[in-house]
Amino acid sequence: MRPELRARALVAVLTAALGGAALIGAFTVAGTESAPSATSDEEILVAAASDLQFAFGELGRAFTEATGVDVRFTFGSSGQLAQQIVNGAPYDLFASANVRYVDDVIAFGRGDAATKQTYAYGRIVIWSPKVRYRSLAALRDPRIRYIAIANPEHAPYGLAAQQALRRARVYSAVRRKLVYGENIADTLRLVTSGNADVGIVALSLAVVAAGRYTEIPPRRYAPLEQALVVTSTGPRGTLAQRFARFVMSDAGRRVMRRYGFLFPGERLGT
Amino acid sequence: MVDWSDPLLLSLRVSLLATALTGIVGVGGAWVIARTSLPGRRVLEVVATLPIVLPPTVLGYYLLVALGRTSPIGRVWESVFGQPLVFTWQGAVVAASIASLPYCLRTARAAISEVDVRYEQAARTMGLPEWRIALQVTLPLARRGILAGLALAFARALGDFGATLMVAGNIPGRTRTMPIAIYDAVQAGNDARALYLSVVLSLVAVSVLAAVTLLERRPA
Repeated sequence: MRPELRARALVAVLTAALGGAALIGAFTVAGTESAPSATSDEEILVAAASDLQFAFGELGRAFTEATGVDVRFTFGSSGQLAQQIVNGAPYDLFASANVRYVDDVIAFGRGDAATKQTYAYGRIVIWSPKVRYRSLAALRDPRIRYIAIANPEHAPYGLAAQQALRRARVYSAVRRKLVYGENIADTLRLVTSGNADVGIVALSLAVVAAGRYTEIPPRRYAPLEQALVVTSTGPRGTLAQRFARFVMSDAGRRVMRRYGFLFPGERLGT
Repeated sequence: MVDWSDPLLLSLRVSLLATALTGIVGVGGAWVIARTSLPGRRVLEVVATLPIVLPPTVLGYYLLVALGRTSPIGRVWESVFGQPLVFTWQGAVVAASIASLPYCLRTARAAISEVDVRYEQAARTMGLPEWRIALQVTLPLARRGILAGLALAFARALGDFGATLMVAGNIPGRTRTMPIAIYDAVQAGNDARALYLSVVLSLVAVSVLAAVTLLERRPA
């Protein structure tokens, strides 16, 4: 065999061996250390309902400033987040838009029932960038082509929107105009991007978005009782409890109130 | 501030490992299919090609069933490493590997099939054992095709979204790869971040492919 060939074969074998070794090494190390980037214990992962995107973003920064603990968020629909937690996703805290999903997580043994707390009540609004629709009945307007709501199957705000449309007796009239967002932030995006004309979204997002909105009377939908639960143990669980206390604190509630959340005992019965 | 280094580094790490894994399985499989008479090797090729045809959701679903916490593999993994395979970056590597396997395997198989068997026969008459013929004659002669296959596999792994999202989730700093970070930014209505990340990912992909093209054009 030509020496040149032999050298090439050697290179090929070495490459394969190195690749294999790197692979085995990476996977072995992986078991003990889970994060690819620097992850100290001074960090918590929070799975939070999308309606909390702005409010919790602000709370997270304030918490980090006060304690030095990093808070990293994954926002999504409560149903999808609960599903992931039940299947082993390594979150430390779950803040749902509906207490039901917190109960699910606890039932599967993935949340500490003693840490379950209702931290706020959510509100829904009819939101549009330019036109202000004053009632659900106004959504019958033939000029409206698409109405965005969150997917009621797994997004609590979508379920509330569906209930409100039904109770206002406009659901069957607008059913064909409905388009579904994956979660409530995605629903707002469907409207801000101009692909839907109007959306039923969380007040906590509407207060930030540049548009016009009308609140839907709370009697039109089952209360959006938003609850949280700690989903990890050990030092990270302790940090998650600290963050939960921060959310419930006066300082935390001041932030939440600015985004339009209500608190237990102050539900408006209108 | 746009924080892109985390998802980018994670994406590179996941796709490099996936390419290595795919390279070993894919080139090995390609050789078996092209050069042996192993029964069922055609079926093997068809099965390995499925990830091109199946929607990522189906792939993700199968992987969740196969690797989930209640599956045999998931249980063994968890008892050995103390944490589930799903919702970890290792899970993302597995998803990206499976998704990119057909690109490597099919390209390598075609390249190996084109190697003139007379070179192998010559080596055989000189008494070289089969495994050395494969490593020293067949694979070096097919290296251009194999390299192209690896590049395709890397590109595919870098871009994997659906299967990764289903198996590994969207956990910042752990499983939020570039494609998932882009999806997350779009969903959150953060258009500036989505655009920025998309441009960064596109530049990386173009550079990788340009590098490989140059490499391939070099005379043998």
